[in-house]
Amino acid sequence: MYTTQLLDVVTTAGVLYIVAVGLLVVYGVLKIINLAHGAFLAMGAYAGVLTTWAGWNPWTALLLAAVMGVAVAALVEWRVLRALYARPLDTILATWGLNIIVVQILTLYFGREIHFAESAIAQPISVAGVTYSQYRLVLLLIAVALGVLVWLVMQRTQIGIVAQAVIMNEELAQALGINTRLVRFVTFCLGAGLASLAGALLTPLVSVHPNLGVPWLINAFMLVLVAGVSLGNLALAALVLGGAQVLVSSYGNPVLGSLTIVILAVIILRFRMITI
Amino acid sequence: MRKSWRTLVALELVLGLAMLSGGAAPSAEAQAQPIVIAVPVGLSGVNSVVAPAVVQSAELAVEELNAKGGIMGRPVKLMPLDDESGPAGAVKAFNTAIRQHKADAIITMETSAARNAGAPIADRAKTLFIYTSFYEGRACGKYLYVNAWVPEQIVAPLVKFMTDEKKVKKWFVLGSDYAFGRGLIEPAKKAIAGLGGTILGEEYQPLQQSDWTAIISKIRAANPDGIMYATSGGGPNIDFMKQFKAAGLKMPVGSLSIDELTAEQGGNAAEGVYYTGDYFTGIDNAENKTFLEAMKKKFGANLKTPNSLSEPQYDGIHAYAMAVEKAKSTDADKVAAVLPTIVFKGPRGAVQMNKQHHAPLPVYLAQVQADGKTKIIKSFGLVDPGNQCPNLK
Repeated sequence: MYTTQLLDVVTTAGVLYIVAVGLLVVYGVLKIINLAHGAFLAMGAYAGVLTTWAGWNPWTALLLAAVMGVAVAALVEWRVLRALYARPLDTILATWGLNIIVVQILTLYFGREIHFAESAIAQPISVAGVTYSQYRLVLLLIAVALGVLVWLVMQRTQIGIVAQAVIMNEELAQALGINTRLVRFVTFCLGAGLASLAGALLTPLVSVHPNLGVPWLINAFMLVLVAGVSLGNLALAALVLGGAQVLVSSYGNPVLGSLTIVILAVIILRFRMITI
Repeated sequence: MRKSWRTLVALELVLGLAMLSGGAAPSAEAQAQPIVIAVPVGLSGVNSVVAPAVVQSAELAVEELNAKGGIMGRPVKLMPLDDESGPAGAVKAFNTAIRQHKADAIITMETSAARNAGAPIADRAKTLFIYTSFYEGRACGKYLYVNAWVPEQIVAPLVKFMTDEKKVKKWFVLGSDYAFGRGLIEPAKKAIAGLGGTILGEEYQPLQQSDWTAIISKIRAANPDGIMYATSGGGPNIDFMKQFKAAGLKMPVGSLSIDELTAEQGGNAAEGVYYTGDYFTGIDNAENKTFLEAMKKKFGANLKTPNSLSEPQYDGIHAYAMAVEKAKSTDADKVAAVLPTIVFKGPRGAVQMNKQHHAPLPVYLAQVQADGKTKIIKSFGLVDPGNQCPNLK
């Protein structure tokens, strides 16, 4: 019983982390909340449907999803968002509009009904005496790998260090000759690519339909609000909030559990010290 | 001056001709005045997945009636309207149907919220309303008839089958946290208790939540012999079953919310799930074969697979036509009086709305196969809807 609950807590945190990391990257550098995050999740999930139709290996969906996400994000950043950075409120409108457009295009092409995407792993596995979903454990590993990868990019690569400079003080970075426009472009593409990748990773857990991103967007949004711009904080927030949700659902009921993330987020925000 | 005078004459002539032909028209139209059947259905909103199939069923029924010369020699006109899957849209659609299009009858599949909003409007206007969607039961009205299932008809047979043949004594029941989910789990609990079973756990999940992890861990901890669940329609069935299987749980599962189309779209996710219903495309009788062939011929590649929410629409329109022929009138009081005596033998079998405005229905047990297709494994014969409207005859 306790082993299962421990596994539930850490794997739920892993799933939340995967879903939220793209949103956090965009928020950190661009200082905008990408409300099209849910649409990118859905798009990634449909990549799984396309690879199933084509009869490809389910893992190829991850690559296709990331490519689709980056391509759409590049177009949108270039033609729309770039002109709006000086007006942060308008970016909310623009990304929400993008969300509606992408969801409607998916609906037009695929219809409102659910679709099937082949799962790479559908079998359970035995861990420490309990049978558990192997895929959820794989997701946990992927979450850790993604976290380390994004951290390495931010700490060890030129673009990451430049991005950090933009996070800390954009005017100063610009004055020093850093091409902030390029940094914003790359970051938005990276964030959207991560979101689509997350969508493809969700398909073995949930059915694919145009609005599948909506509930995940809300949780991801809460996590990012609590975590600020730090990857470490995001992992901590996913563990605390996701863990609380699982425990309240297990010992109370899932209806209360679904409120936990929102309520905890509000409490943490009220008492958190400013640490950016 | 001359020119304008000529124009005036020409205008006069044209007007005169128009009036002449206009005056001649009514007598020719009177006998051919169509019987209007309105179909307020969720073309947008949550029902928009199933609504096109409902309209197609209705279109086929109307085409068949018109091919035989209509009802009492009058052509039948179908009027699909969008009820937006909810009460506000239903009020608009019912008013438009009755006031603007002078609908003789409303025959449709809707959400319960839309039906509850629309039924009083039809009742006040004395318009016959045949409701063709399965629902939670106990909707009653002088002009309201229902030809689809209520929980009494599908829940008890499924519980009995799983108790007797799958030896399920200890149950875990779960559902989505809303009226339909809870409304179906209640009769399931009663049926389980009635057969001497015990309930180890009962859980409800919020509608938007697609991660079932906590409930699945509770099922594992309780270790029941079998599961009975009722999520909302479509996707959540597949979400739950995918996660249930990935967790390595293997007990038999009965579903009160899955349907043929969802099972198929879910691929192998729902393999093995048992469910009951009154209509499946695999029903082996002549009427169903004719129906499916006619649907394929009429709609070709655009055909939406007929299902238990769309097929009763076809039955409902035919039953109405027979009732009007028998009553020799479209007057709602006269049609309502004969409707319970009408037996329409359709794809589901013989259906008669003779039990307090509801119908005893043929109920089948089915199981989802490895490819997502549904196989009928047993027929329970006609199952009575029970006491739905004790105040009506």
